[in-house]
Amino acid sequence: MINFEEELKKFQPSLEIGEATEAIYNQDLTDMADLMVQIIKEHEEQESDTRR
Amino acid sequence: MFCYNCGCHLSEHDYCTACGADVALYKKIMAISNLYFNQGLERAGVRDLSGAINSLRQSLKFNKNNIEARNLLGLVYFEMGEAVAAISEWVISQNIRSEKNLANEYLKIVQSSSSKLDTINQTIRKYNQAYTYCVQDNKDLAVIQLKRVLGLNPKFVKAHQLLALLYLDMEEYDKADKELDRALQIDVNNTLCLRYKKEVETALLGEETEKHGGLKKKEETLRYERDNEVIIQPIHGKTTKSSPLATIFNMIIGILIGAAAVRFLMVPAVKSEYQTKLQEQTVEYGNKLDKKTAEIQTLNSQIATLQGEKDDLKNALLGYEGEDGAMTTIDNLLMAATVYLETGDIRETALKLEAVTLNTQVEECSESFQKLYHTILAAIGPELSEQYREEGFGYYRTEDYIQAVNYLEKAVYYDETNGQALYDLANTYRKMENVEMAKEAFQKLEERFPDTEWARRAADALKEYEMTEE
Repeated sequence: MINFEEELKKFQPSLEIGEATEAIYNQDLTDMADLMVQIIKEHEEQESDTRR
Repeated sequence: MFCYNCGCHLSEHDYCTACGADVALYKKIMAISNLYFNQGLERAGVRDLSGAINSLRQSLKFNKNNIEARNLLGLVYFEMGEAVAAISEWVISQNIRSEKNLANEYLKIVQSSSSKLDTINQTIRKYNQAYTYCVQDNKDLAVIQLKRVLGLNPKFVKAHQLLALLYLDMEEYDKADKELDRALQIDVNNTLCLRYKKEVETALLGEETEKHGGLKKKEETLRYERDNEVIIQPIHGKTTKSSPLATIFNMIIGILIGAAAVRFLMVPAVKSEYQTKLQEQTVEYGNKLDKKTAEIQTLNSQIATLQGEKDDLKNALLGYEGEDGAMTTIDNLLMAATVYLETGDIRETALKLEAVTLNTQVEECSESFQKLYHTILAAIGPELSEQYREEGFGYYRTEDYIQAVNYLEKAVYYDETNGQALYDLANTYRKMENVEMAKEAFQKLEERFPDTEWARRAADALKEYEMTEE
């Protein structure tokens, strides 16, 4: 049986057009490719440190 | 595909031919992103919009620069009535690639007319208002508001879902079913819609079982569906012949049942509808009243400001107007000029000029006013001054010193270079034993006419006063 109050919690107010800029800036755009490049760089730095 | 390290075009090898970086993993990530994009595209093609959103978001998690995936995600959002989310995705896409990008076209279409943007914003505002009504437990108002939202944007899936939820809560399962069907036409595999739909179907089935529980002989009815309607038809319809009295009796019972149905079913429904309308109107009038009150306050403040300005102007006007309401100051000056030009009567001209200075400060008047006043004064001044001096001196001789002072002061006023007039005035004060005024006049003589006979006599007189004081 559906509980109205519980279901209502799943709904959220929609963003208005004026708030779009804020929403765009707040988006986390980090992707897997970024993470991979970061890990490779960290690995290379560690390697160069151990060589020294 | 380009190298993440140097930006060069990648070949079929697992390393960059330009910088030598290992790109095997990078290529796999890009391939997964494309795989998710293809999945999203397929899902969008069969109107599984929420599924498409999931796939496209996954695709962007692997490669944020996948322009096609981002543009399609925006398009899917727009189709579901999520205009702001769609615009956000397109703007990001446009920032990643500004040229040869479909997002430019989409944004141009949305932004081309201000009425379109206004409608989108209005829809969102009304939806948010409906959500607030739900939270405040004003379900009737929420339903009305959501109907308006769907009038503006019939593809707004979230609004269909919320409306269906409200109908479910009100146990209006048929209406909820219709809303869910509409939402599922837009997004065929929406999990929330499907869950609500299942709930509605269970409830409807329960109602139906309850209704038809009394039918014991099921085998005697034929059930079939046509246009979403379940039709129950008896297989062996019995036709019984009844007497005319029984027919009339049945008719009366039928009419009574009809009247009772109207009284107990229709009247409350109409009443409820009327109350909803009233409630809606009350909210509308409340909003209008607030708006009008704000307008009245603004107008009142404007009235107060304008009243203040009006009083200031009135006071300023009074300064220019005489008791008879005419602009006497300017009139007197013009009359002075007219008298002088027409008759050359300097005494009459002087009288008019005196009337001018009686009502106003010449220095505070306009430049042209001052110029005319001083021109007239310069034209009549020396001659008039001499006339006043002669008359004043006549009174001096007859020892009428008050009249003498009156005329001699005018003589000095109309021509400051009339040294004789100032000397006679100083002597008159001396005769009147008005020491302060006499000393002042003698000092002026010394200052204005140095190295003259008047200055020498003034110096002697001042010496005498000094000696007397000692």
